[in-house]
Amino acid sequence: MATPTTTQVPRLSAEEAGYLTAGPGRAAETVLARLIDVGAVRVSRDGHVTAVLQNDYKATTSVEARILSYARTPVQFDTIVQSTANCNEMAALNQYLRDRGLAQLPRRSNPVWGVYLALAFLLVLLSFSVPVVLLGVPIAAAIALWQRGRQAVTATGKAALRQVTATDRVHAVALYGFCGKINGQAVADLFELSQSIVKMLPLKQSRRSRSSSYSGAGSVSSCSSCGSGCGSSSCASSSSCSSSGSSCSSGSSCSSGSSCGGGSSSCGGGGGGS
Amino acid sequence: MAGITDLGVGIGWRSEIDLTVERLPGVDFVEVVAENLHIGHLPESVTLLLERGIPVLPHAVSLSLGGADPVDLNRVEHLGKIAEAVGAPMVSDHVCFVRAGGLDSGHLMPVPRTKDALDVLVANVRLAQQNLPVPLALENVAALLEWPDGELTEGQFLAELVERTDCWLLVDVANLYANARNIGTDPERFLDEIPLERLAYVHVAGGEQHGDVYHDTHAHAVLPEVLGVLDELCSRVTPPGVLLERDDNYPSDTEIASELAAIRAVVDKRRG
Repeated sequence: MATPTTTQVPRLSAEEAGYLTAGPGRAAETVLARLIDVGAVRVSRDGHVTAVLQNDYKATTSVEARILSYARTPVQFDTIVQSTANCNEMAALNQYLRDRGLAQLPRRSNPVWGVYLALAFLLVLLSFSVPVVLLGVPIAAAIALWQRGRQAVTATGKAALRQVTATDRVHAVALYGFCGKINGQAVADLFELSQSIVKMLPLKQSRRSRSSSYSGAGSVSSCSSCGSGCGSSSCASSSSCSSSGSSCSSGSSCSSGSSCGGGSSSCGGGGGGS
Repeated sequence: MAGITDLGVGIGWRSEIDLTVERLPGVDFVEVVAENLHIGHLPESVTLLLERGIPVLPHAVSLSLGGADPVDLNRVEHLGKIAEAVGAPMVSDHVCFVRAGGLDSGHLMPVPRTKDALDVLVANVRLAQQNLPVPLALENVAALLEWPDGELTEGQFLAELVERTDCWLLVDVANLYANARNIGTDPERFLDEIPLERLAYVHVAGGEQHGDVYHDTHAHAVLPEVLGVLDELCSRVTPPGVLLERDDNYPSDTEIASELAAIRAVVDKRRG
């Protein structure tokens, strides 16, 4: 009897899940959420984030350390998210996800890919009468595949993301963002943050419902990050975004979608931009 | 002072810790820096505290009452309007100067303790009082130097100021401790010399020793020695209120709460 083989799906930290869900801005939100959760930073009513003086708290990731360092003096909520989304530590996180095969450099979809596919099909038909044209089929097919583009999240990354559920408020931010909702409740409410604060982040439009495999799934409008289109699983699972998610990136600073997966540095606004 | 017999224990309201101040248990009153507020749009947090019935006392830092120039009535007017906006029973500033010759020091500078300097201070305090809708309390400052040719001790200087202007006193026990460390003054003598019946309330704050100098930073924990000066004060009089000032490096809500509890413990111990 053959031994059944199982594919190990990597476990994701909250900030990794945030990154794969919606790009570096969402990852920045997630790290900020964790710091609020452990009381390492506080947010004021007017949206200023300040590190709490704690002798016993040590940053658990380089992105956390970066935020704590930045927030020694009060920083506006959206500014710290954007800045963190664009920092070197976030680029390192992107590289780490790529090294583990969870993310990849995305390629923007070009609508002409269908033309090349049709050409390949036509060449196959023609080859019955003129066999030599069969040589052009792999070329046309290859061009079609190339032009079709690819998403920032790999199949492995999507599989890993499907394991992530909003079991706590930090993961709720990773999956839905501060501006999102979970079971009808605003994620911001879980942190006692007013809407005026989280709405400093640019509102994403036309977010898709998440797959039912996510707990607390619901239609969300999220204001995260450089992009829900940047490797978002919700985008990846939607047909309108299947060609690299560019259609999901409206409203974000990361307008091309493809630029997000290539590293946070290319993702201008990070947490939002204007 | 009508309406203020027992302020209790309070904390300086700062925008960075507004939600903390709202959540902290046992905050009986707060103090706001008058220069940081604007008439017509008080911070939401301050409005919320007022709705809860928490007294809000404006504290000024820019009147420069000890300066040689006449007090700037625009600043006095602003302080008065803030007092009216928050329904404060009194306002306060410092016995100091912060500008001279058109330059701002950026620091609360001690005034020379001479009769001439006292005359100037008294004139400015009277002018301010005439233009304020509520009583004025004045606070002793922390000094890193003493001007030469002083004729009065700090306690004598303040006692005479109270006698001539009928102002109230805001005693900062952290400043008394700092002065004792840095320029060798005696907090007990100070407390002996001031009219404690004119005590409005008390400030407590943290600081840090840097080399030979103790810095009244308001950004570090309150030292036990500062609480010791508070205890000494409470052994002589029951202060109407005691307020914790924290202006930077804000610790966790728990730590702030424990500092307030430590202050309350000192006050309650003496109250019996």
